[in-house]
Amino acid sequence: MLIFRKPLEGIDRPQMPADVVIVGGGPAGMACALRLSQLIDQHNAQHSDSQLSKENIYVLEKAREIGQHCLSGALLDPRSMRELLPGFEKEAPLDAEVTKEAVYFLTEKSKLKFPITPPPLRDHGNYVISLNRFVKWLGSKVEETGITIFTGFAGSELLFDGDRVTGVRTDDKGVDKQNQPKSNFEPGYDLQAKVVILAEGTRGSLTKQLIAKFDLTKGCNPQTYGQGIKELWEVPSGRIAPGEVIYTMGWPLTTKEYGGAWIYGGKDNIVSLGFVTGLDYPDPRLDPQRVLQDFKQHSFVAKLLEGGKMIRYGAKALPYGGWWAIPPVAGNGWMILGDSAGFLNAQRLKGIHLAIKSGMLAAETAFEALKKGDSSAATLGQFQEKVESSWIKDELWKVRNFHQGFEHGFWAGMFHAGLQQFTGGRGLRSRYSGKAGYEHMKKLAELPADGGNEAHLLGPAKGDGRLTFDKLTDLYHSGTKHEEDQPAHLVIHDTDVCNNRCIKEFGNPCQNFCPANVYEMVEDTSQPNGKHISLNPSNCVHCKTCDIADPYQIITWVPPEGGGGPNYDGM
Amino acid sequence: MKILVCMKQVPQKDAPLKLNETGAWIREDVSYEVNEPDAYALEEALRQKEKHGGEVVVITSGPARAQQVLREALAKGADRAIHLEDNAFVGFDALNTARAFAAAIKDDKFDLIFTGLQSDDYGYAQTGVVLAELLGWPHATIIMQIEKTDSGIRVKRELEAGYFQFVDMPLPALLTIQSGINKLRYATLIGIKQAKNKPLRKVTLAEVQSAVGANLQEIERLYVPQKTKNTEFLEGPPAEVAKKLVEKLRNEVRVL
Amino acid sequence: MPDTILVIVEQREGKLNRVSWESLTAGQALAAEMGWTLEAAVVGSGVTNFASEIAAKKVVKVYAVDSPQLEPYTPDAFAAGLKQFIMAKQPKLVLMPHTYQVRDFVPKLATAMGRTAISDCIGYKKEGEKLLFTRQMFQGKLAADVSFTCDAPWFVTFQNGAFRGDKVEAGAAAAPIETVKVDIANNVIRNKPQEVFKEAKQAVDLTQAEIIVSVGRGIKEQKNIELAKQLAEALGGELAASRPICDSGWLPMDRQIGSSGQTVAPKLYLALGISGAIQHIVGMKGARTIIAINKDSEAPIFEIADYAVVGNLFDIVPPLIEEVKKAKTGA
Repeated sequence: MLIFRKPLEGIDRPQMPADVVIVGGGPAGMACALRLSQLIDQHNAQHSDSQLSKENIYVLEKAREIGQHCLSGALLDPRSMRELLPGFEKEAPLDAEVTKEAVYFLTEKSKLKFPITPPPLRDHGNYVISLNRFVKWLGSKVEETGITIFTGFAGSELLFDGDRVTGVRTDDKGVDKQNQPKSNFEPGYDLQAKVVILAEGTRGSLTKQLIAKFDLTKGCNPQTYGQGIKELWEVPSGRIAPGEVIYTMGWPLTTKEYGGAWIYGGKDNIVSLGFVTGLDYPDPRLDPQRVLQDFKQHSFVAKLLEGGKMIRYGAKALPYGGWWAIPPVAGNGWMILGDSAGFLNAQRLKGIHLAIKSGMLAAETAFEALKKGDSSAATLGQFQEKVESSWIKDELWKVRNFHQGFEHGFWAGMFHAGLQQFTGGRGLRSRYSGKAGYEHMKKLAELPADGGNEAHLLGPAKGDGRLTFDKLTDLYHSGTKHEEDQPAHLVIHDTDVCNNRCIKEFGNPCQNFCPANVYEMVEDTSQPNGKHISLNPSNCVHCKTCDIADPYQIITWVPPEGGGGPNYDGM
Repeated sequence: MKILVCMKQVPQKDAPLKLNETGAWIREDVSYEVNEPDAYALEEALRQKEKHGGEVVVITSGPARAQQVLREALAKGADRAIHLEDNAFVGFDALNTARAFAAAIKDDKFDLIFTGLQSDDYGYAQTGVVLAELLGWPHATIIMQIEKTDSGIRVKRELEAGYFQFVDMPLPALLTIQSGINKLRYATLIGIKQAKNKPLRKVTLAEVQSAVGANLQEIERLYVPQKTKNTEFLEGPPAEVAKKLVEKLRNEVRVL
Repeated sequence: MPDTILVIVEQREGKLNRVSWESLTAGQALAAEMGWTLEAAVVGSGVTNFASEIAAKKVVKVYAVDSPQLEPYTPDAFAAGLKQFIMAKQPKLVLMPHTYQVRDFVPKLATAMGRTAISDCIGYKKEGEKLLFTRQMFQGKLAADVSFTCDAPWFVTFQNGAFRGDKVEAGAAAAPIETVKVDIANNVIRNKPQEVFKEAKQAVDLTQAEIIVSVGRGIKEQKNIELAKQLAEALGGELAASRPICDSGWLPMDRQIGSSGQTVAPKLYLALGISGAIQHIVGMKGARTIIAINKDSEAPIFEIADYAVVGNLFDIVPPLIEEVKKAKTGA
């Protein structure tokens, strides 16, 4: 019997007043905190009579340490960082400036280099970074300001008063598998906040709660997502220069899936490589972790990695939907930043700079709210306006239809992308519509039993232990760890659907799209279909793919006990 | 009771370790955590204070990053902290670490000092006992229970193979604490906030330099242990395989 | 005169601790390699009978370090008594097993003598004139070769299992035994130890188990756990499991081996129906001998197994239990 995590009811919770609570200590949240501190410092220097305090400004971060759940390629477009901390290059941990780039189209046996790098993929002036290290550094800057970062604390629920967000409830700690308090139980706090800023990353759980409560995505395109699977490798020297950037399209994906790979050369012979598979593929048997393993077997990649060693693994979903999929980002007591809102340029595969910029703009708005003592929609709504009049919109507007163009396959996508390049993003029409990725998933009955052209993408990777890895081995390298004795944080609203419907219709794709072997159908002769769903929640790498890709939309990812999760050291 | 808890920051259990240029230590760009037995030592000190009153002081040595351990301890309820801050402390052997600690606390009067029973990095299992000897204090190791008595304390020592022993000791005394002696508490938001204003004394290397000397032991090199196994496959019908296995258990593994 | 290696053997409750033989094996090997003299000592009150047991082995001399104050064991008395003895004998190297008792007094003894101990070693190396001791660091992820940078005597403790106690060489003739009385003042001893007692621990400490029978998914159903339990009982070992078994509640969580459970290094690890995912292997690869029974010949557990049986555990385990029982009763 599966018991799911849920804040305990009927208990006394400690209350704590707050001016601003930022949920999530990634690039957006940290930039927001840092900018807010700058504005307060400036204000206090000029207004000795009306000092603002940073005492009650908090960042909640569910990872045990700052940056541990941060995963990206990553290339940093320095534009927003230069605005936030001019001269940041001198002290930030940057691996290398991009010096060389290439784009290839792969077939199984060969590669075709694009004669020129398409403008959106030109990365000169950007930096190869480890987002984990970068955010650690940014977090240390925030801590220097006196703002408190609560690491190991997740936001488990939003608190409401009518149509106003009034705060955040943190996670209950010390709850056992049966959802009963243990001897060291500590109830989650109710942080009563004037301003709540959601910077949870892709598919944030509180953001999801907020969107549902106020139906915020009404009129938006559905958000679409990709799943990025990343491995960090240490390779013999001379294989790739620091700052060398390679993108590939094509193999192992067929024209029916959207996605591609990156390979970035970092310092000390560290290579970041990964594959983003759009979570709108048709065959439920496809396994994105396997896609990366197949990709590595291409002779072009295998040669690069030969004799090297995989040192870290991770996975994360990213929002592709673009401008038309972004919900309202501010309201009564709340703002939404970064990937939680969907500020990601799908064409350039970059979102860090937008996350940072959105954090800065939200900080300016929060600062106004604190000064005025008003955090209603009237004041916080300025954030919406700031975004729309900033370069965030300029950048996203040009690519507003990019991903939708690919909904009907690769070649259609290339056609639309080319057309949009010359029409300022318009293409055939100003707004391409789209449908949610999970709706593209086909039932097994509609697909060839042997997988057809997709056969090589289906089912789990075997792994040779050197170049390729099975999922559990990869997972081990994510450093994932949770308190074992706690209820499952993958809330399946109706397990009968898994055991009786999905098993027949889709073959339980959760087992395939989860990059961490959380979901498992185990033999059970008492079940009509011979199996029942079982969870290994402590494997979870917090990528949110299950919440996104499940064809019945019955999985809700909620944060486990704070402090648990992957350890993306150096990722 | 006034209790000092010696704590150490060690690389996280799953952190991928790489050697540095000297080949005698690891590259330090990994994530760190509190040495697990030290967390239990802290918890025990907090519980003793809750029972008997007094003060809990935490001490560590290491570079700036090690302060995190003290912050966490303060957030959980320690009253103040001492940080011997210098990268050089990382390379100290047990004797020098204990000498530096002894020098740093010479003006304090503690009733008890707790350490974890060993660290997850060096794994000496020595620093606590060495410190007791330097201070001229009695000690007991691998402790699973502590009760205050009229004349001092009664502790429960863990011995091997499921054996235990109670030991009566006078105070002041030093105890090395076994993991699992208690259930660890969580830090709370208010605890973390209050910790920011608790006293944290920094001690430089120069301040304790006169108390320490050259290391008496030295790591010449560090490496990944190589293990080669020759797997022997035992074949045949089950009854025969069972006989072969028992023969191995008797003559090779020697457990029968 | 050649340098001396002194092995201090451990007796407790009137019994010689078996791991002492391992230290003696190490001492014999080192003596042969370095050309040094090997001597041994047993410490306690009225311990001459232990000394004669040691004297049958290949050692030059055995000392019975004796004082009524050495019984029962206290770190104060042991450090004081051994300091007197070692100061008088000036051995180059003092070897001991890394037992809980040794851990309790050796750091104190070495410090009292202004020396250091290299603890928990798994081997040694002679490189030129240099003697290096190998010890595990970072919980076994790395190994270190460590040298002394101080004058003798050098104190070294060896990990349980680092050397083979059964390989200790017998002597051609019984070595001479000398009883050395040490003088320990009454006020030196501050701890008052009570009787030793045995207690079932609240949690199972598998790290101390010598034999572990561990079950994985291959056990199929909860009721089959009984079979593994019978094997563990026949062998006198503990029962453990990989994560899925504990997750299903078939065995309590404190019996879980692996990255999210306990890390063990028993003498024998018998894996039944365990495939050997890396998460499990990191918790048991330190076992001295690994026997794996699995029906999948490709199971990764076989890569680290010493003895492998490809087959159905339900066929093999029942006759194995019978054979083990027979062997135990000497039938």
